[in-house]
Amino acid sequence: MDRRLPPPTGTRVRVSAPAGTMLNIARRSTPDAADTFYVHSLIRSQLRLAVSVALGFLLLLVGLAVMVFTWPEINNIRLATVPLPWWILGVGVYPLILISAFLYNKTAARNEAKYRSIAKP
Amino acid sequence: MINPAVALLSVLLVSVATVLIAVNGLRLSRTTGDFYVASRTVKPWWNASAIGGEYLSAASFLGIAGLIVVSGQDGLWFPIGYTAGYLMLLLFVAAPLRRSRAYTIPDFAQIRFGSMKLRRLTSFLVVVICWLYIVPQLHGASLTLGISTGLPGWLGSVLVMGIVCLTVLAGGMRSITFVQAFQYWLKLAALAIPAVFLLLHLGLNGESATLDGAVFDTSTDPSANRGLYYNISLLVALLFGTLGLPHVLVRFYTNPDGPSARKTTAIVLGLLALFYLFPTVLGILGRAYTPELATNGNADATVLLLPGRILGGMAGDALTAIIIGGAFAAFLSTSSGLVVSLAGTISQDLFRGTVRGFRISTLIATAVPLLLALGTSSFALAGAIGSVFAFTASTICPLLLLGIWWRGLTVAGAVSGMLAGALACGSALMLAAALPNEPDSFHALVSQPAAWCVPLAFLVMITVSLCTRHRAPGRIDAVMARLHVPEALDEPLP
Repeated sequence: MDRRLPPPTGTRVRVSAPAGTMLNIARRSTPDAADTFYVHSLIRSQLRLAVSVALGFLLLLVGLAVMVFTWPEINNIRLATVPLPWWILGVGVYPLILISAFLYNKTAARNEAKYRSIAKP
Repeated sequence: MINPAVALLSVLLVSVATVLIAVNGLRLSRTTGDFYVASRTVKPWWNASAIGGEYLSAASFLGIAGLIVVSGQDGLWFPIGYTAGYLMLLLFVAAPLRRSRAYTIPDFAQIRFGSMKLRRLTSFLVVVICWLYIVPQLHGASLTLGISTGLPGWLGSVLVMGIVCLTVLAGGMRSITFVQAFQYWLKLAALAIPAVFLLLHLGLNGESATLDGAVFDTSTDPSANRGLYYNISLLVALLFGTLGLPHVLVRFYTNPDGPSARKTTAIVLGLLALFYLFPTVLGILGRAYTPELATNGNADATVLLLPGRILGGMAGDALTAIIIGGAFAAFLSTSSGLVVSLAGTISQDLFRGTVRGFRISTLIATAVPLLLALGTSSFALAGAIGSVFAFTASTICPLLLLGIWWRGLTVAGAVSGMLAGALACGSALMLAAALPNEPDSFHALVSQPAAWCVPLAFLVMITVSLCTRHRAPGRIDAVMARLHVPEALDEPLP
């Protein structure tokens, strides 16, 4: 059997460069004003949602950083010999990240459903 | 301390398995069609494991425990940043990027702006980022091999790059989601099993894993204590750098549609949160049982040395072998993901995507970081990766964020913003390498520049775009609709 490899890289390159056909925006019929307006408001509501989740989370993190920095005595509060900040930063933050992600996904999907029901009756 | 024969066996086992899987994977997925078909059938769970497998690199596997040994509580910010970076990716990038149908970041630039000039600049930055990201992986490999077998460290770098080059040339790896997914669980097990065993052993012997809390009291080396600015700046770098990592974004293409891209990202968050528990535990154990590593410059070896120190004997050897195997899996999977993105980008933009071009590109993609790694000395892994994140956050991140969410971004704005971010961040990092790190100096400002570089890049991008408003791309409405409009319920994206 011919052990030489077939030219797999050729196909790989095409995968990474679907260029030409794929990269062009499909020429749809020119969108009307109402369509454009619905898309605008969809984008705006999704952005508002993303920014508020991100800001809330960032404020929380910066708040934690400032708290640990300005109040070092918090390290004297211990659970099972481990100081409280280690629990918060090493374990407690992660469920918060997961909850934010879960809530965001639900709300983003709802925004999209709303758009669908308005734009494509 | 570590049995060299066992360590070597473990390294060889992982290497051979990787090569075998890659060569066999060739038979499984050979054509473009296969890839596209696969892209409709890959479930979010698989995809998320694959992203986790590719993302968890040497910095996560070895670096975090080392960092906790050196700088204690400050080290905890790294895993938070690495994980929360995916939250930002979920919020701002995941679904629109999938809907754009871009396969790489340069593709996205072309779709959004229709400009070849911008595409080339983006490709160039992607190449630089990938190179910088590979180098710490190789440093990790050389450290691991050197510590565990006593062989000269450079052999580790050469081994990793050799295997990566071989597998990428054979054409495997990338399209096999299964392999990358498997790597995640391998890495998780390789840290979880030792961590649990060590804790059990200490518990049964009535020893306290934290020396009754004393490990948290020992004041760390003051130069390692980096203060508020550094931590916040690091967070900015990690949060916004993750959005632009080329090898991560490519994976999103295998999601069938926007909502599944979101679901995948949410699962990735869970997987990362689970993984990072273990380096943290091992780091705390390291503070108790290998404290001398904090000062002798080998902190990144903490994870490798702990089992031998606490258990010793056969059991210690076995656990060490598991960890070494996991570490090499980390170097190999992250590096091969990066080399594939890199070779794809180079071959498209330099060689017009020919087969021969892809092969030459693979050689370039592996040779340059290898030379860089051999020519530079290893420094803290987590810190080195932190710098790469800062660079990504001040170049690719503004392009993606503003490109996706702001209609007003122009080509001129994008180009000047990315150049400003790249120059500012690049020169700051070089300055940091040249200047001595004295306490109370402004060293943190240049060694972790994200806190001012990222806003600068955004500012330049927005200002220049506003000044060149008349040159906004014409098809903007169609592009924005493509990025944001949800797909019809029953038809997947191409």
